[in-house]
Amino acid sequence: MAHVTTHSTEISAIAGIDCEVRRGGKGAPLLFVHGEFGLPGWTQSCAALAEHFDVIAPSLPGYGGSTRPDWIMGVRDLAAWITWFARDMNIPTPVNVIGLSMGGWALAEIATVAPEFARKMLLCGPMGLKPEKGEIFDYFLESGVTGLRRSFHKPQESPEFLHYWGGEPSPDDIDLIDQNREMTCRIAWKPWMHSLTLRPLLKGVRTPTLIVQGAEDAITPLNCGELYRDAIPGADLVTVEHCGHMVELEKPQEFAALARRFFLT
Amino acid sequence: MTRKFFFFSEMGYNAFPEDEAKKHGFTSLMFPNSLFDAPTAADLWQMYLREHEFASDCGFDGSVCNEHHNNVLSMQESVNISAAVLTQRIKGMVALIGNPLPIHDNPVRVAEEIAMLDLISGGRIISGFVRGTGVEQLSTNANPAYNRERFEEAFQLIKKAWTVPGPFRWEGKHYHLRVVNPWQLPLQKPHPAIWAGGILSPETIRWAAKNRITYLVLGSALDATSSCREIYHAVAKEDGWTPTSDHLGYLIHTCVMDTDEEAFEMGKYHYGGTSSIGRNRGEPVAGGLSQGTGSGGATSSGPHPEWAAPPGYISKQARTSTMAKERRASEGSYDTAVRDGLIVTGSPKTVIQKFKHIIDRTDPGYLTFWAREGRKPHDATMRGIELLGKDVIPELREHKSALLTGKEVTPWPM
Repeated sequence: MAHVTTHSTEISAIAGIDCEVRRGGKGAPLLFVHGEFGLPGWTQSCAALAEHFDVIAPSLPGYGGSTRPDWIMGVRDLAAWITWFARDMNIPTPVNVIGLSMGGWALAEIATVAPEFARKMLLCGPMGLKPEKGEIFDYFLESGVTGLRRSFHKPQESPEFLHYWGGEPSPDDIDLIDQNREMTCRIAWKPWMHSLTLRPLLKGVRTPTLIVQGAEDAITPLNCGELYRDAIPGADLVTVEHCGHMVELEKPQEFAALARRFFLT
Repeated sequence: MTRKFFFFSEMGYNAFPEDEAKKHGFTSLMFPNSLFDAPTAADLWQMYLREHEFASDCGFDGSVCNEHHNNVLSMQESVNISAAVLTQRIKGMVALIGNPLPIHDNPVRVAEEIAMLDLISGGRIISGFVRGTGVEQLSTNANPAYNRERFEEAFQLIKKAWTVPGPFRWEGKHYHLRVVNPWQLPLQKPHPAIWAGGILSPETIRWAAKNRITYLVLGSALDATSSCREIYHAVAKEDGWTPTSDHLGYLIHTCVMDTDEEAFEMGKYHYGGTSSIGRNRGEPVAGGLSQGTGSGGATSSGPHPEWAAPPGYISKQARTSTMAKERRASEGSYDTAVRDGLIVTGSPKTVIQKFKHIIDRTDPGYLTFWAREGRKPHDATMRGIELLGKDVIPELREHKSALLTGKEVTPWPM
């Protein structure tokens, strides 16, 4: 069942780039940071969250409709930019934040140096740590669409997957997937999707943190969620059954309910 | 300058099991190296080096060597090692086409090795630089999104290392060196001729023209090569200079035998095997090989086109360029490839006429014959080399391009 909250999508000069921002809902601000595939639209989880929050979802530099400044060469650069974005959007801090996959990594980086930025932090299938068991899936040995399919436990049963990527992709769709992949490549190529210093730095984080991960995540090993939980003092880990890497798309209602409970308590 | 003629072979590992290639659908990057047989490779090396020697004896002006990684296409994982060996086996020039600069984290090492080669060979080196294929970026973990930036920065660093007295410091975007001061410098001054090889990326052609270095077209069709020359000349004109024949090199699959019929049959080894033609058309298995004499049975990256074009490696501009379309259009059947001159086959008489047509339309100062490919038998390869060296090259050496004389273009033999 699609939610019907209205939202706006605008591109304007923010934090040094032309930035695409989707925004909708009422309530306290909630900063929604997408992952390595960008944000495909006003997703069901955005709509569900917008019933309780003012959801602010930028396309990060180089992703979606946002321009790419050449100086961003790492996820920490992206993290710094996110704080600029909040400042330029007059989002009061500390703010509730959600980070998906690589976006979770960026928010974790912020939490290590700017404890005043986030009130509470929900990280979904976060990248950023080198797993002790398994390996982070290498998207670049496969096509973009293959990576997307692999991000779902059962893509063909996911309305969101079918809505965004179920059909034959147009040349524009392929260009967008390529553009997002290129930006990911620019910032997370080596070491692939992790930082060698983040894990020790997480010990200093004091932001209340919830890690959410699909039980069937075939992109980020479940061990990564465990490492986050063990590294950040007081962090919780929730595993969503029958769900792949993109929990926010494959189980949007469960995801929104988890977020609601976490942020509203 | 008189036109120069070179011999080229990828020196590929042509003994890979075809059934495995068909099973996997590719022969690069992830093709398991458990299928590699060292004694076979050792024999292949000796055969290939004999062919280079023979080309030198038959009157070729030099040999061309190359570099690829994780690929049956070529056993040359270090072009500088190939070149080192060739300098000791042939009399003429050794052209490297070349060092894939972006995969190196210390480009000064490349400058040092080329200097060594030039000194050891008595100044017989031509130093080509390339971006490397997509597969090379993945197999060496070189970030494809910065491929062009790394290529251009490495080039500037190497050129400076050769021409500006050291020591100096280099703090660039991708390369950072406290002390650049290579002790050995090239014998040729200010440095060996530099070539930039490419498969028609318009950015690389413009870059080569801006830097006034020779652009080597790697195995592309005649129309596309002609477009490439036009772009190069247009950029030069904007900058106020006129290129000569020396600014264009052309590498072409060539199969010469005693008769047209024999050459046409042998030419099939140049199609759909380990080489570029008919290889990347998206099928899991190259259809051209159904003709039975091909060298492989598998495409290079087969169902993984993303290996050839990892993120950021090919710009949208290059993907959609006119030349890319011309290149794709030329990748049809074997018959089409021969008709369009993507593979030049024939008796010496026929091939002389074909190359006069090619010279008339593109005027390359350096013509490189890709005259050994895949599983083409050694005897046939040697005969082809002999005919090229003794019959074909002498006829082409002084042929003036119609682009310079204004005469009519030699007709393509029907």
